[in-house]
Amino acid sequence: MNALRLASLNGDHLGRTIISAGNVRFGEDFVVIAGPCSVESEEQTLKTAQEVKAAGAHMLRGGAFKPRTSPYDFQGLGLQGLKILEKAKQETGLPIVTEVTDPRDVSWVSEYADVLQIGTRNMQNFSLLKEVGKIDKPVLLKRGMNSTLKEWLNCAEYILAAGNPNVILCERGIRTFETYTRNTLDLSIVPAVKETSHLPIIVDPSHGTGRLSMIEPMSLAAMAAGADGIMVEVHCKPAEAMCDKDQAMSPDMFGGLMKKLHILRSSMSKMNGKAMQGSGASNS
Amino acid sequence: MNLKEIRKKIDSIDGQILQLLNARMEQVLIANKFKTEIEDTDREKEILDRIRISATGLIQGEFIERIFTEMIQESKRLQNEGFNLIAFQGDHGAYSEEASILWNSRLVPFPCRSFAEVFEGVQSGLYDYGMVPVENTLGGSVDQVNHLLIHADLHVVGAVELPVRHCLLALPDTDHRQIRSVYSHPQALSQCRRFLSRNNLEPVPYNDTAGAAKMLSETRPKRSAAIASRLCAPLYNLEIIKEGVEDIDRNMTRFLVLSKGEAMGEGDKCSIVFATEHKAGTLFNVLRVFAEKDINLTRIESIPNEPGDYAFFLDFEGSDKDRPVMEALADVERMTTQFRLMGCYTERRGQ
Repeated sequence: MNALRLASLNGDHLGRTIISAGNVRFGEDFVVIAGPCSVESEEQTLKTAQEVKAAGAHMLRGGAFKPRTSPYDFQGLGLQGLKILEKAKQETGLPIVTEVTDPRDVSWVSEYADVLQIGTRNMQNFSLLKEVGKIDKPVLLKRGMNSTLKEWLNCAEYILAAGNPNVILCERGIRTFETYTRNTLDLSIVPAVKETSHLPIIVDPSHGTGRLSMIEPMSLAAMAAGADGIMVEVHCKPAEAMCDKDQAMSPDMFGGLMKKLHILRSSMSKMNGKAMQGSGASNS
Repeated sequence: MNLKEIRKKIDSIDGQILQLLNARMEQVLIANKFKTEIEDTDREKEILDRIRISATGLIQGEFIERIFTEMIQESKRLQNEGFNLIAFQGDHGAYSEEASILWNSRLVPFPCRSFAEVFEGVQSGLYDYGMVPVENTLGGSVDQVNHLLIHADLHVVGAVELPVRHCLLALPDTDHRQIRSVYSHPQALSQCRRFLSRNNLEPVPYNDTAGAAKMLSETRPKRSAAIASRLCAPLYNLEIIKEGVEDIDRNMTRFLVLSKGEAMGEGDKCSIVFATEHKAGTLFNVLRVFAEKDINLTRIESIPNEPGDYAFFLDFEGSDKDRPVMEALADVERMTTQFRLMGCYTERRGQ
C-alpha cells in the first residue's frame, strides 16, 4: 500500500480521522443513517424522515439521482429531490447524505447535502472522484461491488489527493458466486480497513444482503466488528417503494433495530472497558 | 415545436396579462385620488369606444367589450374599497415590498421608480405611506434615502427590520447546470459572492433585484438566472432553484415607514435629525444629554449635507411621551442649529 500516501495508516496519519457532518461525528460516534432508497415525493420523504428521527437515526439518506440497472427504471427526481431533502432537513434537523452521479452535479448537490455519496458503480469514476475532491463537504465512498480493499483505498486516495480530507468508507457487499443474497456483505473488511487506514468505515446491510430478514443481524454484526456506523433503507410504506422495496425496512422494524443496537453498544463498551482495564493491569 | 412548448408560451403570456391587469388596477386606484366621484359614464364610454375600434386580429369587438366592461366593474369595486397605498422603490417583489407586507398586510404596495418618487408621492398625497430602506448589515447606510430624509417634511410612523433571504430564480424547466449568468442588484450579488464562485456563475449587475427577475421572465435570456426575493417566483412565473444563497445568513435591512401624519398610538422608538454649530464639542454635548438621561441610542449616522456641513441621524429607545425623553429632546433642540423629531413609532422585526 505504498501509493496510499494519504489514505493509509502511517506517517502523518497514526490517529483515526474524525469527520463532522452537522452535529454528527463519524469515527467517534456510531452513526446510523436511515431513509428511503430514493426521494419519491415530498410526503413520503418527510414522513420517513420524521419516523427515522423519532426512532433515533442520526442522518437522513435519500437518492435524488438514481443510477439504475435499467434505463427504464425510475431515475430519481433530480433537483426537485434535493429541494425535498433540504425541506426534510429543515423539519427534522437530520443532516442529509445523497448520491451524486455526474461531475456536473457535484457543486449543486453540495449546496443541499451535508455528505455526498459516491455509489458502488461510480467508485472508480475518477473524474467524479476528482470533482468531489474539490468541495468542502465530506464524501461517503461506497466500495465497488468488484473491488479489492487496495482498489477501494486508492479511490479514497484520489479524493484526498484532490484536497478533500473528509472521506468516509462504506462497505455495501461484493459479487460472489452466492445467489441467495443480492451481494455478499464482507464484514471482514471492517477490521481490515481499521488495520490499514485511518478513515472511518460504515456498513450498508440493505444493499449488502438485499434481504429484509438479514438487515438486523448484519447491522448488529457490523457494530460488533467495529464499524463506525450503518446505513439502512427505511420507507414509510415499504410495499409502495419505487425502488429496492424488498430491502426497505418499515419504521417499526427500524425502531426495533435501534433498540438492539443500543443494548449491544452498552455491552460492547462494558466489554471494551474491561478489556482496557485488563490490559492496563498487565502493563503495570 | 410541440404542445408542451406551446403551452409554456401560453403560460408566459398569461403571466404577462396578469401583471398588466394588476398594473392597470394600480393606476385606477391612483386615478381615484384625482376624482370626486367613482362613477364616470363618459370615461367608460370613451374606453369602450376606443377598444372596439382598436380590436384587431382574432379579437372581436363584442368579446373585448365584455372583458373591458368586467374590468371597469372591478376597477370601480376596488376604488370603492378605500384602500390605503404604501409606495416603495423597485418592481413588484422587491424587498421593500416584503417589508411593506410585513408592516401592514392590509395596505396595497405600490411600485415607484425612484426613492424621490416615493418621497414626493407621499408628500403630495398620492400614497398614504412610503417604505424606504435606511441601512443594511452588509451594505451599510442607504445614502440616497438618508439625503432625502434630511429635508423631507414627512413623519416616521414605523420601522421594519427584515432578514434578507436571497433566492436563485430561473425560468421554469431551466437545467440548473446550464446557468452561467446571474442578474441582480450589485449589493445582492456581493452578498452571494461565495455561492456564485462555488458554482462557477458569472454575476451580472442590474438595477434592482425584482427588476432582474422581471427582465428574466420578459426577455428570457439563455443560460441565465436572477437573485431576488422569494416573492418574485410566483410574480414572474419563475422557479426557485435554491433558497438562501447569501453567504452570511444574518443579513438584515432596516426600513422606515413615512407618512404625512404622525404615528397613531404610543411608540417605543424615536428618530431625530439635527445639525450642530461648527464648534468643538457640540456633537459630544448632544450625545451627553442622552447618556445622562440613560437613553439607549440604536443608530447614529452622519450624512454630508452641504460642503463642510453634516446632518446627524439619531435613533433611540423610548417614547416621546416619557418624561426623560421629552426633556432630552427639549435640551437637544436648544443646542442644535437644525432639529426635527422625525417620529415616535414601534419597530417590527421579521423572523
